[in-house]
Amino acid sequence: MTRLSVVLLLAVIASALYLVHTQYESRRLYVELEKAMAESRKIETDNERLQVEKRAQATPLRVEKLARDRLQMRTATPAITQYVTYVDGAAPKGAVRE
Amino acid sequence: MALHRRELCVSKSVLYSASPLLASRTPVWRSKFIVAGIGLAFVGLAGRAAYIQVFANEFFQRQGEVRFARTLALPANRGRILDRNGLILASSVPAPSIWAIPEDVDASKTQLAHLAKLLEMPLSELNKKLVNDDKTFVWVKRQVDEPVAQKIAALGIKGIYQRKEYKRQYPEGETTAHVVGFTNVEDRGQDGMELAFNNQLAGHAGSRRVIKDRLGRVVEDVGEQVPPVDGKDLELSIDSKVQFFAYQKLRDAVISNKAVAGSVVVLDAVTGEVLAMANYPSYVPDKRQNLTGAQLRNRALTDTFEPGSVMKAFTVGLALETNRVKPQTQIQTAPGRLQIAGSTISDSHPNGMLTVEEVIQKSSNVGTVKMAMQMQPREMWEVFSQAGFGQKPQITFPGVVSGRLRPYKTWRPIEQATMAYGYGLSASLFQMARAYTVFGHEGEIIPATLLKSEEPAVGVRVFSARTAAEMRKMLQMAAGPGGTGPKAQTVGYSVGGKSGTAYKQVGKGYGTDKDRKYRGWFVGMAPIEKPRVVVAVMIDEPRAGKYFGGDVAAPVFSEVVQQTLRMQGVQPDMSVKPQIVTHPVEESF
Repeated sequence: MTRLSVVLLLAVIASALYLVHTQYESRRLYVELEKAMAESRKIETDNERLQVEKRAQATPLRVEKLARDRLQMRTATPAITQYVTYVDGAAPKGAVRE
Repeated sequence: MALHRRELCVSKSVLYSASPLLASRTPVWRSKFIVAGIGLAFVGLAGRAAYIQVFANEFFQRQGEVRFARTLALPANRGRILDRNGLILASSVPAPSIWAIPEDVDASKTQLAHLAKLLEMPLSELNKKLVNDDKTFVWVKRQVDEPVAQKIAALGIKGIYQRKEYKRQYPEGETTAHVVGFTNVEDRGQDGMELAFNNQLAGHAGSRRVIKDRLGRVVEDVGEQVPPVDGKDLELSIDSKVQFFAYQKLRDAVISNKAVAGSVVVLDAVTGEVLAMANYPSYVPDKRQNLTGAQLRNRALTDTFEPGSVMKAFTVGLALETNRVKPQTQIQTAPGRLQIAGSTISDSHPNGMLTVEEVIQKSSNVGTVKMAMQMQPREMWEVFSQAGFGQKPQITFPGVVSGRLRPYKTWRPIEQATMAYGYGLSASLFQMARAYTVFGHEGEIIPATLLKSEEPAVGVRVFSARTAAEMRKMLQMAAGPGGTGPKAQTVGYSVGGKSGTAYKQVGKGYGTDKDRKYRGWFVGMAPIEKPRVVVAVMIDEPRAGKYFGGDVAAPVFSEVVQQTLRMQGVQPDMSVKPQIVTHPVEESF
């Protein structure tokens, strides 16, 4: 009877310690998960920010300025545009829509 | 001797058993008293335990939780605003705000100088903010850019903290400012589409309950978690390219005509979408210091004025529709003056005999009034109302006005006459553009929208398709040689439209010759056979000599039409003298 009690006592103590360990481990992993999620959020917002920045670099104003100043381009007018009709399957080579 | 010694011994050691105190019997109540006392203490403890565990359990549980559990707010991202091609017009980016506890700030001189440089503020101003010792919280700067915030964090100054906040960025800047609007520092819409669709854009913040350890790290979730609902993206009908050059051309025209302001509206004549809506002066949404009301106003929607000659198209349209006249019917406009109930209506110069077509082409007031006086006020009122005059445009946007169209029962004959050519009623430029979809959309007025919709709009019939086609021909004549707005013509595309010029009301009248103020505008469409766009341009108070709508507004119309149609890949419907190089020069690499 006494021996059984001792065995049970030891079992209880072991289980309790294991519980403590598991709890600790779970919290440690949780902290890591949190960190990873925060990182993912940060990357997401960075992505968003960079997209806006990219867009800001490609506004029509800037594009036109660069095209005019650096590439010496002109606005296309109907006078210098050859319109071709697109026939399905028989598009002529080098056809441009505008 | 021995006895003596023994006695001595006895006297030296106390004989307890012989103590008289022991001889008396201890009373039983004393032991019982002790037992009872100890028992009572235990009962007290048990009671306290029961109180804590059972009766006041909730209170203690809560107190415990307060010390380690935290509710974290999970902010929802505000939706983006996109143009019709998915390009970003507004988006939220993180912009941390820098704050400090002045008494805790402990930084070297070089650190502070560095910080001031990063914050783009003079060192003296920064010092002033941090010197305020009796405050425990002070904003150093709100909403700085993320990279700057990272550098500030890297400085590691004690007592300087950051709070995560979001800021709206508007890559298109002043071009789309009036349409898109802006948000305040709390990320709530204040104007434009940001305000009109704030609920949809804002989303709902979520929350979660967590346990934090002593280092402030989250170690466990407790209770339920409410995930944040991000705001939905908003897709506008605006084409940022069309918007850009519409704004650019308008700005150039306003500046070169020394005008006060101007507006332009571009409508898709098929779907009713607003491709562009721009006003000048405008503002940069990111830098809103020192803004004036003049800059903020979306004039195209909020400012009304008397539409003038633009209305003639509806009066003549009604006359055609009711078979009172044919396009070739002759009308005598000589001598360029007409008496109605004691008032005189006159043309800018006498025209003599005109056909109905020419009445529109030459913009003859007398000719229009002669047609109008054959009609009932009710008929005219109905057509004007159907065309949207005096009606609030069905468009979700803050500050939209309805203009003014009085009920026909109160019209006096002279008022009926002036209304026939656009005086005595008022409308916004947006209403005029939309009204002209009647001619552009085969006689139907279509609902305009600022949101993307690919479907052809379902309109409400005002005129028959035949009348609309006849009117388009007249509008083309008006925008052609001999008309009032030949400057509206553009290379490759046939255009049609009506110019308008009005005296601005100054006080009670229209001012004297010296201080008259004008407003010039042009409303038209292209290509004329099957219109794709309706464009309306208004220039307010041109002061550089020219002031007729056909001179100040029509050139803007011409350029906007040209670019918009080219952008949409519409093939020119008029022959163009080609300037294509027939012998291509060999390309060099």
